[in-house]
Amino acid sequence: MSLAAEAFVSQMAAAEPWPENATLYQPLKEDQILLSDCASSLAVQTYLRMCGLPVQVACRANAEYMSPSGKVPFVHVGNQVVSELGPIVQFTKAKGHSLSDGLDDVQRAEMKAYMELVNNMLLTAELYIQWCDDATASEISRPRYSSPYSWPLNHILAYQKQWEVRRKMNAIGWGGKTLEQVCRIRSAFATSSAQFFFQPTELDALVFGHLFTILTTRLTSTELAERIKSYSNLLSFCRRIEQSYFEDKILSVSLSLFIPSLIPSL
Amino acid sequence: MAAPLELYCWRGDWGLPSIDTECLTVLAYSKFAGAPLKIHKITNPWKSPTGTLPALKTREEGSISKPSNIIIHLRKQKYNADYDLSAKEGADTLAFVSLLEEKLLPALIYTQWVDSKNYVDVTRSWYAENISFPLNFFLPNRMQNQQLEKLRLVRGDPMLEPGEQLEKELYRDALECMTLLSQRLGSHKFFFGDFPSSLDAYVFGHLAPLLKIKLPNGKLQQHLNSLDNLRNFCSNILLLYFPSTGQDNSSHKTPTHADGSDFDSEPHLRRNQILSALFAFGAMLGYAILTGIVSIERVQPQRALQARKRADDEEAD
Repeated sequence: MSLAAEAFVSQMAAAEPWPENATLYQPLKEDQILLSDCASSLAVQTYLRMCGLPVQVACRANAEYMSPSGKVPFVHVGNQVVSELGPIVQFTKAKGHSLSDGLDDVQRAEMKAYMELVNNMLLTAELYIQWCDDATASEISRPRYSSPYSWPLNHILAYQKQWEVRRKMNAIGWGGKTLEQVCRIRSAFATSSAQFFFQPTELDALVFGHLFTILTTRLTSTELAERIKSYSNLLSFCRRIEQSYFEDKILSVSLSLFIPSLIPSL
Repeated sequence: MAAPLELYCWRGDWGLPSIDTECLTVLAYSKFAGAPLKIHKITNPWKSPTGTLPALKTREEGSISKPSNIIIHLRKQKYNADYDLSAKEGADTLAFVSLLEEKLLPALIYTQWVDSKNYVDVTRSWYAENISFPLNFFLPNRMQNQQLEKLRLVRGDPMLEPGEQLEKELYRDALECMTLLSQRLGSHKFFFGDFPSSLDAYVFGHLAPLLKIKLPNGKLQQHLNSLDNLRNFCSNILLLYFPSTGQDNSSHKTPTHADGSDFDSEPHLRRNQILSALFAFGAMLGYAILTGIVSIERVQPQRALQARKRADDEEAD
């Protein structure tokens, strides 16, 4: 898209109000969706709720191939399709809905940096656990990922995806890492992330999406969730957002089912 | 520790202690932390113990190549530049390093290795000149392929093809990243107060090459030049922590051109060239005269005249 065309699109976006029938597409919720996709999808939903923008969630088996960037989730608004949280934030900003207007320059810079940190560390750790931990990959990730497809396509696609992720992990130097080390990185992140959150922003949406999904998803190893549970401020943060934005029980699970100890502390 | 640790990194140029981002990061960190390293500045990555640069040779853990691991190792040796940081600042460091790696690094790779004009004119020619003889024919191309592969992986797109669209996206991210850094730095001397930390080393490593290496397509450079505090930040670090290379630069500029050929060291180069050209010309002329190439041209008309005269005489007879 040329610069002029891009400017034109953003003008169009600004002119049209947010429609009632905006739709968010994600893979099948029960059988197919994986931890990382579920987290990204929840992050976008949380962000849109924070902005007060209505959106319907639609599950499609081929969501990954429908998305313009090959990544889920994506939203279909009017006659436009936008994928991933970063571009969606830009897009809603063009329509006049923004959560980060109240921040000063330094805070905004820090917020952007922390969002990259989440993408860089949490997302990579999730991908690692899904595809590089052999037990999880064979018991959960591959069967779930390939569930809509018939033989032999299911094996081909699942292994192709796994190979792609593993190659990326090797390139960024995570290839030889064990689950232990990943968890240690995760906990380093948790210590660091205990520090931010100024007001509801896209960062909070992103962090909530990831943490909530990790806490409420059953994997072969519960070590990650255990790590996060040891940070009470992160737990109460998740609880707070869940209560304020998801009161209507749109989430199929609730945090309190998984962390009974949390309720007395609130 | 008896002997200092040994660090292998790329040689510097353009007033930089090293021309490679990762080497610069490690060098800057070791200076900030005051680690006494024995530094080998080489131009042949095959001479490094791990086959890539930078590399730190340690006794306990073998050799390490990744900058983050080198920094962790130095930290274990009690050379810690982040000792005074609070937990919040430690988290900020992690966050901004992620920002640099996700947003600025791809554009940096693109502008140095993928943009064809920059690559041919500057990057490849520098590596080809500096890497020793048989390697210089294929190593630069191999490095380009590795960098392109890295770019593809960072962007998560195995079919990535260099083009205008990609360039625009990468540069937009990078410009935004530089603006954010500039806003975060504000009017401070370093990112966290008056003392440099590992974040400063990372930022310096990524920005200094952009600032110093003159590229024909310098869009990123122009933007960086417009951000005064970041520019000053880089030149301050160069001045304070790498004074020798800074001075080298000013006196180095002329010799770099002169280094090109071996004859340049001779003082009477021009005179000798003219003399040898004259000698060669004289020798050729002499040969031409001796074998009769030149003389024939001059003599022929006379001989023809004489011959005609003789023929006339014979007719008259």
